[in-house]
Amino acid sequence: MIRLSTLFWLILVSATGFAMFAVKYEVQALADQLAHTSRQADDAERDVRVLDADWAYLNRPDALAAMNQRYLSLLPIATKQLIASVADIPMRPPPPPPVEAAAVVAETTPQRGGSLVPSGPVAAQSPASAPAQQSATPKPIAQSPAPVAAAAVQARAPASEPARPILIKAAARHNPAPRVRSLDALIAQIAESR
Amino acid sequence: MSAVHQFKDNPCRPRHFKPPPCAPVVPDGPARRALDGGRGRLLVASTAFVLLFAIIAGRLVQVTLFPGAVTVPYIARFHPAPPPPPGRADIIDRHGKLLATTLDSPSLYADPRQITDADEVARKLVATLPGLDRAQLQVKLKSRKGFVWIKRHLTPDQEYAVNQLGIPGLQFAHEERRVYPYGSLLSHAIGYAGIDDNGLAGIERGLDNQLRGRQEPVQLSIDLRLQYILHEEMQRVFDDFTAKGAAGLIMNVNTGEVLAMVSLPDFDPNHPDMPDPNHPNVPIAQRMFNRVTLGDYEIGSMFKIFTTAMALDCGATTMTGRFDATNPIHIGRFTISDYHGKRRWLSVPEILMYSSNIGEAKIALAVGGVRQQEYLRRFGLLTSPTFELKEIGRPHFPDPVHWREVNVMTIGFGHGISETPLQLASAAAAMVNGGVLRQATLLKLPPDDAPQGRQVISPETSAHMRKLFRLVVQYGTGMMVDAPGYVVGGKTGTANRVIGGRYSADRVRSSFVGAFPMTAPKYLVLVMVDDPHGTKASHGFATAGWTAAPAVGRTIVRIAPLLGVQPVDESSPAVVQALMPVSLQGKRIEAY
Repeated sequence: MIRLSTLFWLILVSATGFAMFAVKYEVQALADQLAHTSRQADDAERDVRVLDADWAYLNRPDALAAMNQRYLSLLPIATKQLIASVADIPMRPPPPPPVEAAAVVAETTPQRGGSLVPSGPVAAQSPASAPAQQSATPKPIAQSPAPVAAAAVQARAPASEPARPILIKAAARHNPAPRVRSLDALIAQIAESR
Repeated sequence: MSAVHQFKDNPCRPRHFKPPPCAPVVPDGPARRALDGGRGRLLVASTAFVLLFAIIAGRLVQVTLFPGAVTVPYIARFHPAPPPPPGRADIIDRHGKLLATTLDSPSLYADPRQITDADEVARKLVATLPGLDRAQLQVKLKSRKGFVWIKRHLTPDQEYAVNQLGIPGLQFAHEERRVYPYGSLLSHAIGYAGIDDNGLAGIERGLDNQLRGRQEPVQLSIDLRLQYILHEEMQRVFDDFTAKGAAGLIMNVNTGEVLAMVSLPDFDPNHPDMPDPNHPNVPIAQRMFNRVTLGDYEIGSMFKIFTTAMALDCGATTMTGRFDATNPIHIGRFTISDYHGKRRWLSVPEILMYSSNIGEAKIALAVGGVRQQEYLRRFGLLTSPTFELKEIGRPHFPDPVHWREVNVMTIGFGHGISETPLQLASAAAAMVNGGVLRQATLLKLPPDDAPQGRQVISPETSAHMRKLFRLVVQYGTGMMVDAPGYVVGGKTGTANRVIGGRYSADRVRSSFVGAFPMTAPKYLVLVMVDDPHGTKASHGFATAGWTAAPAVGRTIVRIAPLLGVQPVDESSPAVVQALMPVSLQGKRIEAY
């Protein structure tokens, strides 16, 4: 009996001792880690301060002006460019009632033939040309998009004649701007439309 | 005792079993008493131990089961709650741009007692850190001291290079250093702090106590973009007209906030003592001199706005009043004449438009010396302005006792009284903003919270002044402003500089104060150019109309879009109607 209980206490004591040291070392390791992390945080904060100062230095107005001159050549806004404000631009007029377009569609849809729809660049341009041409002849549909673009493709337009009504419908619904492939083409188009 | 009895009385006790020895029966006597005393002491000691263990157990329970304040100190040893505070708070502009910050910078020192080969170490250090004097360094390293500075404030690259040398006896001390990313752009507004982090000029000195050991940055009213534009335009005028100095100021007329402040020539607050490549021959004291707040100048004709305003406000004259400006005034040894005289009777608006000294002297006489002093004091022109900077000049004017008639007249057109550009700007703002004088400030005010201010002239007088300001730019001396669309109004001022105690005939100080848009003034720009020299482009003129006024115009054209001021059609009837005095409506106005 005595031996058994002694053994029990001995094991308990050594177990608690072991556990205590284990916990102690674990705490020490954690404390080291904590100190390390907080040191890292301080370092990071110091780095941020340096980077903030660096950022401010790199964004000096005179440096930006020099870079603008070198790469962008932007000029200050002239007063005449500010005379009009956004409020001066009129709102888009309401789209016309889609009834007329629907009527045309009803007349011509049966003739639609997929084989006749041209492919390639003409197809890409036809959404622009078709509504424009239509608007030029009987009645204006929405705002006529870019008449110049229309003129450019007018010669090819008859080839896509059967497809036209569908496109009109689309135009009446979405009121789309002529779709262009590249930014350069878009800029050219805007320049022409002025 | 009972145990002994138990063994004796037990009939089943085996023979061989011997009862355990028990305590001997101690008879009464000294031995017994000693034993009893021993028992008592044992009891006391064991009670004490039980108590101690109870306390420890209680503490254990408290620490483990009730996590509270007790656990914090341990953590705190490893993580100081606030990160190491910068020795000095940052300074930011009104949009949060970093204008001044404190960075950690290592400084190199040596312990000469640990250095074995001073010559070799000196050779290596000079090769690594340019700018060190080798002979001086050798003397330092051979000294018997325990501490000598080698170089303070190294860059991170230099710190790395020195560490690479691996010389024992060299140590780094971590110091803090003030950094101004924009250099000379804000030299006079921010000022600078010395090597030991004490503010020596500008806001660094003015708000030194607030900046020390503070966490959150100090936000100035300065707008970096406006500061840059003003600085650039001022530099242009300064260079074009080879001026001696220049001062410029942009102010919000409705709050008193200073949005930009430039004084030329200036200095780089990062190296205030270094010679400036842009102004190699200008001594440091001149470059540090703040011409906006510390310098006080006879400003000349610009002062006429105050004379006219006080005359209109006190009823000495009206907008239709007329004064004879045909002949110069001779008083004592003085002669008051016009620079560009019309030689006829002039109305009050004309006197200001054509900047007639004769006319303005007569208006001042109509106001009288006593009322003139009272109004000037009210405009804050007879006391030093209150401002966040310590570099504040004070106005100079004749002793009130000796404020004679001739003083009344000359002060009427801005001679014989000197003011700092800062207080002129504040007072001019009060002339156009409805008559409320507000203290100028360099700190950002919360939006929509303009300080109360003091009503110094009536709103009606202020409305008249707005019209007069506008006329000066439309038809008068300020026609060169040329900022179409922003309805600028203002007043030129050309004063003769005093050289050797006498007014010089050809050396001038030109200034212009302009506010825009005159329909409802928001911002004020003041430019003063000291001793400009006429150029071919200005046809040899150095007067305000040719120097300061165009600079203000160029500045306004550039800053107005940033400030969100919408340009308007100046010839539209609404604008013209609003800014034309009733007496002049429909009449042909003679241009200057």
